[in-house]
Amino acid sequence: MATPFYDVVVIGSGAGGGTAVHVLTAKGIQCALIEAGPMLDIDKEYLEHKWPYDFDHRGAEPGGKSYFGQGKPFGFFSTTSGGWQLDGEPYTVAPGSQFHWFRSRIIGGRTNHYGRMSFRFSDYDFKPYTRDGLGADWPIAYEDIAPYYDKAEDFIGVVGSKEGIRSAPDGKFHTPPPPKVHEQLIKKSCDKLGIPCIPNRRAVITRPLNGRPPCHFCGQCGRGCKTASNYASSQVQVFPAMKTGKLKVFDMAMAREIVTDKSGKCTGVIYIDKRTRKEVRINCRAVIVAASACESSRLLLNSKSSAFPNGLANGSGLVGRYLMDTVGFGISGSIPALEGMPHYDTDGAGGAHLYMPWWLWDNHNKLDFPRGYHIEIGGGYGLPGPGTFHGAARRYGYGAGMKKEIRKSYGTGVGFAGRGEMIPNEHSYCEIDPGVVDQWGIPVLRFHFKWTDYEWKQARHMEKTFTDIIEGMGGRVTGLSAAQRESDGISIPGTIIHEVGTARMGTNAKNSVLNGYCQAHEARNLFVMDGACFVSNPDKNPTLTINALAWRGCDYLAEEMRKGNV
Amino acid sequence: MFEIERREVIRALALGLTTIGTMDADAAQHVHTATGAEKSKGPYRVKAFQPHEYKTIQRLAEIIVPADEVSGSALDAGAPEFIDTLAAENPQLAGIFHGGLAWLDAEMRQRYGTVFTGADTKNQTAMLDILVAAEREESARRNEELVYRRSNDYRQFSNYTVKRPSPLGPGITFFDWVRKMTVDAFYTSPIGIKDIDFRGNKGMARYVVPKESIDWALSRSPFKSAAL
Repeated sequence: MATPFYDVVVIGSGAGGGTAVHVLTAKGIQCALIEAGPMLDIDKEYLEHKWPYDFDHRGAEPGGKSYFGQGKPFGFFSTTSGGWQLDGEPYTVAPGSQFHWFRSRIIGGRTNHYGRMSFRFSDYDFKPYTRDGLGADWPIAYEDIAPYYDKAEDFIGVVGSKEGIRSAPDGKFHTPPPPKVHEQLIKKSCDKLGIPCIPNRRAVITRPLNGRPPCHFCGQCGRGCKTASNYASSQVQVFPAMKTGKLKVFDMAMAREIVTDKSGKCTGVIYIDKRTRKEVRINCRAVIVAASACESSRLLLNSKSSAFPNGLANGSGLVGRYLMDTVGFGISGSIPALEGMPHYDTDGAGGAHLYMPWWLWDNHNKLDFPRGYHIEIGGGYGLPGPGTFHGAARRYGYGAGMKKEIRKSYGTGVGFAGRGEMIPNEHSYCEIDPGVVDQWGIPVLRFHFKWTDYEWKQARHMEKTFTDIIEGMGGRVTGLSAAQRESDGISIPGTIIHEVGTARMGTNAKNSVLNGYCQAHEARNLFVMDGACFVSNPDKNPTLTINALAWRGCDYLAEEMRKGNV
Repeated sequence: MFEIERREVIRALALGLTTIGTMDADAAQHVHTATGAEKSKGPYRVKAFQPHEYKTIQRLAEIIVPADEVSGSALDAGAPEFIDTLAAENPQLAGIFHGGLAWLDAEMRQRYGTVFTGADTKNQTAMLDILVAAEREESARRNEELVYRRSNDYRQFSNYTVKRPSPLGPGITFFDWVRKMTVDAFYTSPIGIKDIDFRGNKGMARYVVPKESIDWALSRSPFKSAAL
């Protein structure tokens, strides 16, 4: 049988790969999409609107797995398909380092369950080195990406409001939902402290968009939305692209190697069909790698040839380098003013309806850390699940007294999570572990990671700020955020699941792997369109920027193909 | 455009939403009652426990989350069935309960001369009160030990002041298991969800935050001024 041929092979179906197949198929370009997990079956995977009692295990999972720390990563109802460890696909962590790597294995990847925070980078985020001499500048500026933020927001749909705040550039927004009661108190407390508290920006739609009905306010975005009223690349990009007839999806396909010819041009992709364990080859004119930052770098490093003895497009030695996560720290509080309040449905549009963008971007000379963070809010009357009241039960013992206290304290808690920018450092990177392969015979990654004082000091600023906000609204701090992993005062690297970098953009083949179009300096028909291309990791969740960069890169790729350059 | 609207309506119907507002409350209630009625066809068959063990779990459920003026007990909410179902699927969990229940009966015999189910309510709650007190003491002791282990005293292996672990350790561990699973079963049941007055998990056309709730919180907060 002849080796199949497609114009473009896209590896990975999340935010980057989803955007790529949407943009390219719309231009009539024939694409193949390779995904290491199965096709997404919405009816099976999405547990939207189910009650815990619809299941005999109530959400604790068969045999009570969640009680033994063996349940799904964000609870039974979250539509995760993958996790911190995958059977037969290990990774290793170097001695002295900590790193947790979350991988999805399904069409849509992590966009099926992600938080959907959709923040544009600010103008200054693209030139961090110029501002403070740390890290490196991006080869592109805000003006280059702004039209693609517009396109991405127009297409996926984002709620928000125009505020004119420099750290949080305005976009093209759907009407945001009104703030919940605890959020109104938080806003008033923030007003006193001079912290802007504005409508949240999330990839949820509140008016019809391309056949997708508006949000119905069940608050269960993390379970996957059957009406596609939020953004997931599976429903919003991959499925529609399949209907164009220009896209062929290969699921359960684990990319092993990108094949190059003697001149260094990519000619195809070899993957392992997980169902048969057979090796399959697809030929193509161009390859787009969008397997998630570290997985993409792993594939490049494993694609060695005479033209690329250090791994594909790795003449600089920078593939795997400058791995970044977001700095995370959280605190929870209890607010007496919420006790006894007439209850209401706090589900809303999923996630918080307000958030706080960084407010001290002009004051870094007065702070002991160089970069900013934004604040995410939690609170309200959540649907109880296994574990919701374990803390309260321990606090109050048992019996009628405990029952009364749980009733009284339910919904009176608030939580704050800081999400801050890390400075890329030379101690944080991934490389091929020379001694370990996965069950497909593919060498695995070994991680190295260190936070520096820049991040630790930022986390201490978060701690003070959150305490001030809680006390300012008459509340008291009840503890660190529920996430035990933050108990040491800063999140364990990787656990915010914003891992980016490892194949960064730059102006030349010495200081970077890619150019500003996500195109490899050393292989002109190779593109990396996920978080790997990030030069810095600003305090803005990365997905929207991945969408915009992939869109921009695909416009460029299509034009280069038309001109015959690729 | 018409096509979009039509599809929207179909999707909304598929979700059980009406186009004008929330899912009809009576219809929802009907669904729940139907499920409940279906489930209560015939008595529950215990899979993981001996009859005596199961009776003990039932009694514990009744005491841990008792019925009061607002709602029924964890027994009414199906906590014993929940524990039995999961234990039948997981030998490790079943082991925790088999051992813990036997420990409880032995302790009860020693203290009150009868197994747990044979004791009167006063002695049953007295036993649980002892376990809760021991749990708190033990938790404080563990924190102390944690601090001690991080200190220089520990490194020099001197000045050991931390108390010995509680002799009631197995009971503390077991009670935490039976309590957390009982509490989970209660608050994930229709009875428990109603008890705490959870109002969500439904679709609606427009999201509104009620003024009475806003006023309630604001008037009790340091911010007396009007809502946003």
